[in-house]
Amino acid sequence: MSTPALIGLLLAVGIVTYLYRYSMIGLFASRSLPGWLHALCRHIAPASFAALTASALFVHGGEVSIALDAPKPWAALIAALVAWRTRSVLATIGAGMAALYLFKFLL
Amino acid sequence: MAHPGRTKRGEFLAGCRDEAPLQLGVLPFGMLYGIGALAAGMPAWLAQLASAIVFAGAAQLVIVQMLTAAAGALPIGLTASLLNLRHVLYSASVADYVRHLPRRWRLLLAYLLTDEAYAVAILRYQSTRPDVADGKPAPAGDLGHWYFLGCGFTLWACWQLSTAAGLLFGATIPPEWDIDFAVPLTFIALLTLLLRERAGQAAALAAALGALAFATLPYKLGLVGAILLGLVAGVWASRRGERNEEMGKEGGR
Repeated sequence: MSTPALIGLLLAVGIVTYLYRYSMIGLFASRSLPGWLHALCRHIAPASFAALTASALFVHGGEVSIALDAPKPWAALIAALVAWRTRSVLATIGAGMAALYLFKFLL
Repeated sequence: MAHPGRTKRGEFLAGCRDEAPLQLGVLPFGMLYGIGALAAGMPAWLAQLASAIVFAGAAQLVIVQMLTAAAGALPIGLTASLLNLRHVLYSASVADYVRHLPRRWRLLLAYLLTDEAYAVAILRYQSTRPDVADGKPAPAGDLGHWYFLGCGFTLWACWQLSTAAGLLFGATIPPEWDIDFAVPLTFIALLTLLLRERAGQAAALAAALGALAFATLPYKLGLVGAILLGLVAGVWASRRGERNEEMGKEGGR
């Protein structure tokens, strides 16, 4: 993406985010938000992270490729196991990167 | 309840102090964002500026990951905007405590209303003003906004500094080290922390499958479709869970 386009994108996201933050303390008086908004917000983060991870692991140049000799999915599997056992973000990243280097060397 | 003897400076510093321990968790994310932004090809000055303009960790990491995947501006903007929607909930939650403040204060505090600053400030508000209600005037001498400012300022400063540290550090990492892979690894770590309830698991699974099913759509618009599919699945699973619970109750009667 060109730098001017990126600046425009970041400004747009920044403005939208600021409007969210200012919405209920400056723009609208109503403070009881509908329950579905709470429910929706609970699922947005898991859905986004899962979609982006699946895409990073199995989509290359707009095509799905699931190969047994690709190092990244295996490294991600190790990382997921470490994340599940330790619940630590840093340990997950450390284990995942170490596994990636190992599998790149082996596969 | 006003705190006699408390000063603006004292409240501000108390906010800084209570926010400080959380920075241990914020720092790696800021650095990771800085490192990932460089690896995704963002100019360093713009990556730093984005930490001030967007000022939302998860959204900034998502933007970096989507830039790495060569996504178009529209899907990136939609995804980041969706991910930040939760700030409306925070805004509603603090509204009663800050409504009496002059507009310039509300404009400033809105800018500082992030996950970690909200988490600390709302605890303090709930304990010092439990009787808050719409239209009820704030107690005389209420200085809660100085505490909030202390929380927000501490987080803001840490986010900017950790971004800068990540940019400086990232510039020394050779591209063949695949450091950009640390961003999806972070998502994996966050997913395992988030996926406690079945509805969330359904949302994540549907979104992941959707990302593969819609992979051929241009500009990575398939990612937006995948997230929406995940939301539908999540809401559907929540409803189903509630209904099963009700049926279980009736069955036991």
